[in-house]
Amino acid sequence: MIDKINSQFKKLQERLGPKAVWVIIGVVVIGVIILPMISFPQRAYWVRVIGFTGLYIILGLGLNVVVGFAGLLDLGYVAFYAIGAYTYGLLASGQFGIHISFWIVLPLAAILAALSGVLLGIPVLRMRGDYLAIVTLGFGEIIRILLNNLRGLTNGSQGIVGVDDPVFFGIEMTSGTHFYYMIFIVLPLVVFLVTRLNHSRLGRTWIALREDEDVAEMMGINTTAAKLYAFGTGAFIGGLGGAIFAAWQGSIFPGNFNLMVSINVICLIIIGGIGSIPGVIIGSVALITLPDILRQFSDYRMLLFGFLLIVMMIARPEGFIPSRRRKLEMHEETNPSLD
Amino acid sequence: MEFDWVRFAEQLVNGLTVGSFYALIALGYTMVYGVLTMINFAHGEIFMMGAYVGLYSLNRMVDSGLYESNPLLAIVITFIAGTAGAAITGVTVEKLAYRPLRRAARLAPLISAIGMSIFLQELIRLLPSMGESITGIKIGGTFLLPEGVRNAVVGFLEEFGGARVKTYPGVFSTEGFHLGEVYITYSRVIILGISIIVMIALSLLVKYSRMGKAMRAVAEDKDIAALMGINVNQVISKTFLIGSSLAGMAGVMMGMFYLQIRNTMGFIPGIKAFTAAVLGGIGNIPGAMLGGYTLGLAEAIGVQFLPAVYKDVVAFGLLVLILIFKPTGILSEALTEKKM
Repeated sequence: MIDKINSQFKKLQERLGPKAVWVIIGVVVIGVIILPMISFPQRAYWVRVIGFTGLYIILGLGLNVVVGFAGLLDLGYVAFYAIGAYTYGLLASGQFGIHISFWIVLPLAAILAALSGVLLGIPVLRMRGDYLAIVTLGFGEIIRILLNNLRGLTNGSQGIVGVDDPVFFGIEMTSGTHFYYMIFIVLPLVVFLVTRLNHSRLGRTWIALREDEDVAEMMGINTTAAKLYAFGTGAFIGGLGGAIFAAWQGSIFPGNFNLMVSINVICLIIIGGIGSIPGVIIGSVALITLPDILRQFSDYRMLLFGFLLIVMMIARPEGFIPSRRRKLEMHEETNPSLD
Repeated sequence: MEFDWVRFAEQLVNGLTVGSFYALIALGYTMVYGVLTMINFAHGEIFMMGAYVGLYSLNRMVDSGLYESNPLLAIVITFIAGTAGAAITGVTVEKLAYRPLRRAARLAPLISAIGMSIFLQELIRLLPSMGESITGIKIGGTFLLPEGVRNAVVGFLEEFGGARVKTYPGVFSTEGFHLGEVYITYSRVIILGISIIVMIALSLLVKYSRMGKAMRAVAEDKDIAALMGINVNQVISKTFLIGSSLAGMAGVMMGMFYLQIRNTMGFIPGIKAFTAAVLGGIGNIPGAMLGGYTLGLAEAIGVQFLPAVYKDVVAFGLLVLILIFKPTGILSEALTEKKM
C-alpha cells in the first residue's frame, strides 16, 4: 500500500511540472500577503497560526543549515531560540528597567545566539552522530533549567512579562498582524541567506563534511571552521526567531523553550525533506499549521502526530520535497556500495 | 558551614538507588544501539509501559486478596507482568516502527522512534476516552456491544491508563537499618540487589550463551552475521525483548519506590539513561551499568554542593566533560570507535 501511495505521489509530481510549481508559489505568496487584509471569521486566529508557521519556517531554515547542510544532528536548537528571546526580553522590559529598541536588540540577540552556538560547537567538535545529538539535547535542557532557576536574572518560572512592543517608524507594533508581516519580511531574507550559503564555497564545504568528514579533511577542508560556521549560522537564525517570538508574545516563560520545540523543528525538516528549503516550508505547514487546526477538533492530535511521523518515515523517508542530492543518498543502500 | 557527612552518605545511597534505575534502562539503549546503531528514543516509554502494566497487575493482586495472603508471590507476579508488558511493547515497536527502516538513512529510524515515543505517551493518556468512543458505537440506535461488555472494557481502560497521576499501593515499607548514623531502607537494598543480580545474569548471557554470541556477531556486522547462518531479525527481536524487559523491571521498581506514575514519566529517566549509556561507552554492556551508577552517584554528589534543581545540569555537564576528554565513553572498545 505504501508503494502505491509513493507511486501516486511521483505521478502527481511529474504531472504538475515546473511551471505549475511557480504558479503554486505565486498563489501562496499572494495569499500570505493579502490574508490579514481581508475579513473572515476567526481572522485573528488564522493570522496567528500562519504567523507561527512562518516563525517555524525561519527556525527550520536555521536548523537546516546545521542538520541538512552540514549533517550535524543538533537536538538542542531550542537553546538558541531561548537565548534570542531572553536577550530581547531582558533588554526591553521592566525586568531591569532597560528599554532598548527592538531594531538594535534584534541583531544583537542573533549575534549573541551565534556566539553561544560557536561556544557549544567548540567542545563538541570531535563528536559525531548520536553523541552530538545527546550533548546538544543536554545543552538545550541545561539552558531551560538555568532559565527556570536563575531567578535573579530571568525571574524563574514566572517568566518575563510586559516585554516592549517594537516601534516601526512611529507605529507601535501591537497586533498579531504587525508581527505577521514582520515574520514574512524576515522570512524571505533568511531564505535568501541560506540559499546563497548553500551555493557558496562554504556550502560545498558543508556538503563535503556531511558526506565524509575524514575525506573532507584529507582534501584540505578546515572541518573545524566549517562546523563552527554551521553552528554559528544556525544559532544566528534561531536567535533571530527567538527575539521576534519574545516581541510578539510580550511575555516569555522557560516553559516556552522545552525539548518539544527542538523536536518539532527537527521533525519538520525531515518531513519536508532534509537539506531542502521548499521542504522546510512544506514541513512547517504539515507540522505546525495542521496540528494547530486539529487542536480545535480533538484530543487525538498528538497521537496522530506520532503515528504520522512513523508512517512518513516508512513511506517516504526522504520527505515531501527532498533536495535532489539527498534523495539519491536516501536510496543509496539499494545500490551496491564500496563500504 | 560544616560538611554534613551523614547527609552526604545518605545522598550516596540514594545515588546508588537512582543509578540502578539508570543502569537498567541504559542497558536497553546500549544493546539496541549495539545491534542497530540507532537511539531507541521510545525506550523511556517502554519503561513507562512496564510501570503501568505492573500497577494494573498489582492492583488486581490487592483486589483478589492474594497480596494479603502471600505478598511475595503477588510482587513476583507483578514483576513478571510489568516485565512482560514492556517486553511485548518493545518487540512490537521494533517490528512496526524500526524493522521497515533497517536499510534507511540514519535519521529515519530516529524520527520514527520519536514518533513512537509520542504515540505511546498519548496512547496511555487517551486509553479511557478511546475506549468510551469505541464501545459507544451505535448501529440503528442500539449499542453494538452489550452493556456488560462496554462497562468491562471502559472500566479496564480507566483502571489501566488515563491522564491522571496513578499511585502504586505501598509495597515497600519504610523500615530499614542503621549503618553508623546513616539510615538505609530495605527497599533500597532490594532494588540494588535485584538490579545487580539481573545485570550479572545479562552479562553472563551475552558473554557465554549462543544467543549472546549471535548478538555480538550481529552488532559487529549484520550482513556477515547473516551469511554465517544467524537469523538477524530474530536476534534483533531478542535484543529488544531483553532490553525492554529490563526497562519494564525498572519501571515496576520505580513505581513501587516513588509510588507515583504518569504517562510522561519515561522522558527524564530515558534521557538520563541514554546519557549513562553514552557515558559508559555506547554499545558496551558493562559500560552501561558503570555509566548508570556513575551518573547516579555524580548527581548525588552534585546536589551536595548545588541546589537540587541543578541535578540535571550536573548530569549533562558530566556527559559533556567525559565526551570532550574521552569521547568513546569510560569503557571504550574498538566497536564504539568504529561506529562513532
